[in-house]
Order: sequence, then structure tokens, then C-alpha cells
Amino acid sequence: MEHEATQLEKQHVHSVYENTAAYFSDLQTKAWPRVRNFLLEQKPGSLVVDIGCGTGKYLSVNSQVYNLGCDYCEGLVEIARKKGDEVLVCDNLNLPFRDQCFNAVISIGVIHHFSTKQRRIKAIKEMARILTPGGQIMIYVWAMEQKNRRFEKQDVFVPWNKALCSRHFSESNQSGDKGEFIPTAKGQDIHPAQLVISECSYQNNLQPENDSKHSQNIDRCLPRACCMKISEEENRFYSALGRSFRSWFFSRSLDESALRKQSDKMKQLKQEGVWANTTVPIQHSRHCSLDLGHHGALLHEQSLDDYDDVFVESLSLKKPQWAPATGALKDVSVNGGHQSVVQSKGEKASFVNGPVEDRDCICGCNKDGAGKSDASKFFKRTSTTDSTDSALDSAVSVGDQTDAMLDPKAFMRYYHVFREGELCSLVEENVPELQILSSCYDHGNWCIIAERRG
Amino acid sequence: MKLLTHNLLSSHVPGLRPGGGFPLRIELGHPSELPPEPVPNYEGDEEFLRRLHHVLLEVEVLEGALQCPDSGRRFPISKGVPNMLLTEDEA
Repeated sequence: MEHEATQLEKQHVHSVYENTAAYFSDLQTKAWPRVRNFLLEQKPGSLVVDIGCGTGKYLSVNSQVYNLGCDYCEGLVEIARKKGDEVLVCDNLNLPFRDQCFNAVISIGVIHHFSTKQRRIKAIKEMARILTPGGQIMIYVWAMEQKNRRFEKQDVFVPWNKALCSRHFSESNQSGDKGEFIPTAKGQDIHPAQLVISECSYQNNLQPENDSKHSQNIDRCLPRACCMKISEEENRFYSALGRSFRSWFFSRSLDESALRKQSDKMKQLKQEGVWANTTVPIQHSRHCSLDLGHHGALLHEQSLDDYDDVFVESLSLKKPQWAPATGALKDVSVNGGHQSVVQSKGEKASFVNGPVEDRDCICGCNKDGAGKSDASKFFKRTSTTDSTDSALDSAVSVGDQTDAMLDPKAFMRYYHVFREGELCSLVEENVPELQILSSCYDHGNWCIIAERRG
Repeated sequence: MKLLTHNLLSSHVPGLRPGGGFPLRIELGHPSELPPEPVPNYEGDEEFLRRLHHVLLEVEVLEGALQCPDSGRRFPISKGVPNMLLTEDEA
């Protein structure tokens, strides 16, 4: 599986960043405030390294410390270098640093690009190795649970579209400080593909047994009533696009691939196991799924790179609260998957038949007890509907619709988005050399600060 | 690449003996002066510290290579950026 993992990352992480690196310098980059604060709190003279530094936006935050950045992508590192940063090219899984030599490490939006749990663990362990005892690490990863919606699956491909690399995205920032950032849908140069925003939200501690309770037909899910709120503008965009197709391509987690033994599922996957190309079956969720919109308008650069929120609509939320790590995190499955394979009807790309809003508006929700973490306060709970097979007709395997929808500039980036508590569990269970000091949900990311024991 | 960075680097070629990857030998595109051994009690020596600061933080290797002491594997430095990636076979 290691080979598949490296191939997947090569195609859907590394080559995407290499090919798009030139555009990064055009983007208005933003440093996350909490990351900035973490860096500014380091003692003068500290040795600090940004693993996965990209264009180096954090390398000049604190001039009182020695800032070193490294990234797998030469193109991005070159950009950082031109800014005068001290950078090098290396692999997070095999850091070329001595043991225990750094006072602080940051990993902002990096380890969610690793396609297996083992690799994510290895990345964290490597970073712990280079930390001096008492040194601290801050890790940011993309959260499965977003403000108004959540990813259907944890392993996703996110399209990247050059048209979205526009300064206009920054205009609608409402406050000088990093308030809720909402790109306007009115911008002329913004790609017409807009996303459907659902107010229904994040499903806490989803368990398979819950599914059986929610077997309602999706057609009963009325957009306005229950889980969808689409602005008029979005409606227009939607119609303009005509029959939509999913732009989110959900991959089966490589970890699950290794575990899954059910042969009927294997049969259905005609193009199984081909991670080297972009043919990835769309996963059907037995429970709810959200149509997360079209063509990469959604989250292509968001939350971790430059934008706090690229959603057209968003609820205003309380500021993220830091919660001291108690270790009493919910039992969450790491590669939570209710993934069963889509059986596409026919080989051709099939599109949504009915009005898109009705069809695809299916929300995830939690009817069980309240979430234990602060983050759960951010999410509203709505009623659950279950997707039926009819909804699955709209799901298309990537291979089928390659010609239909693929913008040659739409590079697909692989992400493993993290569930609440997953990052903490990952560290607690696998990286004993780190002790978690705090964790929080920040702008669509799960974040932890941990300290090297010793 | 600053020399302070070089201090933090170690070769991570697999199969080395512990500590065998450090220090990487600096090979320069063209010959240059390298610092001498530090004098004893250097902490009080203001002049020495100034020179040390200069060498660590103000001298940069722009073109050259870093050589693993044990394996001999070379990591190139180009435009001031070391490339420490191993090939898939090596890793």
C-alpha cells in the first residue's frame, strides 16, 4: 500500500502544487492569527521550523527567532527563497534534521495530504523527533466538519481552478481581523460554478447503526424547510450550469482499501486500485450526503491556504475556544467510512435528473446526544434524511466524466479531512513522545498544540 | 543556506550508523574560507562571537552540495536551497 500511497500523493498533492506554484504568489496570503500568536510566543533566539511552509508566509512573522521552512514542492520553496526566507526542500516523512534540535515546529495544513493513517503518524513522529524536550508543535488540519456543512467523506479530491485565484476573493472580508471571510458571488471573474450551501451540519460521532434509523427518502428533504438555504444567486448559477455533476470526488481511503474484503464491492469497482490516475469511484454514503457544489469553487484554496471561508453563505460563529485536552475525547473512527460503492447506472456520465436542490440536498445530522466538544456548539442540528439509490444515479465516477467536466486547469488535490477528535487520538495513541496541551477548532480546521515530553 | 541551518541538518539516508549522517560535508561551487575551530571560553569573547554570528547567520551557501559523511550521498544546493529529498528507491 505504500506504493499506492506515494503514487496518489505524487499525482494529487505534489504535482498539483508544483504545477500551480506559480499562481500562489499572486494570491493574497493570510497568516492564521493563532499560528501567528504561537510563533510570536516563542522565546527570542528560538529555532523554529515550518514543515510544509509553502511560500513561507509564516517565516517572517517573528523576526526574533530563527525561522526555517521546508516543503516538498520546489516551486513553492523557490518563491519563499525569493522573499529572502531560509528554506529547503525535503520530505515530511524523512526530515533531514537532527534529533531534538528545534524549539518549535509548525505544521499548517500539511498532514491532511497524507493518504494513509500510517503516513500521517509518521509525519507527526518525525516532527516530534526533531523537537527538543519542552519544545512545542502546532498542527492544523482541515476539518471534516465545516461551519455550514461537512464533507461527506474523509478522503476527498478537491479541484483547483485557476480562475479562482483572484484578489477579488479577499474583498469581502468584513473585519480587519480575521473575521468570517466570504467571497462575493458577484465577482465577475469568479468562476460561475458556485456551491450549494446547506445549513445542515455536522454529524457528531456518526455510527453505522444510526443509519438504519434514518431511511427516509431523500425526496422528502425539502430544501427550504430542512437543510438547504440557497441564495438566489446560487440558484441562477445552478441553472446556468445546467445539470450539475459532483465536483467532489471521494476516494476510498487507502486504509479502508486494505481492510475491505467484501468481494461484491470489489467487483463493482471496475477501475479499482488505480490510484495513479484520476479514476476514482464516487462513494455512496449509506446515510446522508451533501452536494458540496460544483467545480472547485468551494474549498479549493480555502481555510488553510488563503481563505478563511470560501462559502458563499456562512453563519457567523463564535470565536473558536481553546479546549484543554482532557484525553476524554469521543471515540471516533479515524477513517470513518460509511463507504459503500456506487453502482453507477451505465458507463456514461449520468447527471442529476430532478431539480438539483431537491435532489442533492441531503443533510447529515446527529440525533444522538450532544457532542462533547466545544466545536459542536458551532453546528446546528437538523433532521436527517437518507440518500436512496435514486440519488446515487447522480453520482458519477470520475473516469466517466473526465471529458465532460474536466477543466484542464482543474488539478485535483487529495485531502484526508479530519473528524473531531481524530487528530488528538492520532497523537495520543501513536506518538507518546508528545503531550497535547490544547486543541481547538479554528476556521474549518482542527488544531492542536502539543509539547515534546522529556 | 545559512551555516546555522547546516548545523541542524543530518543525512537521512537509510541504514546509516547512529550519528553517521552528521555533519554533512559542505562542498562549494568555488573555494571559500571556512571558519576555524572555536576557541575555548568563546562565550566571553565578544570579538569571536561577532565573527561567529557573521559566519552562522550572514554567510550563505548558494551553490554546492552537502555530502553525507557515511554514505557519500550528495544533496545538491541550488540558488541557496538545499534539496534533501531522497529518491523513492533510497527511502
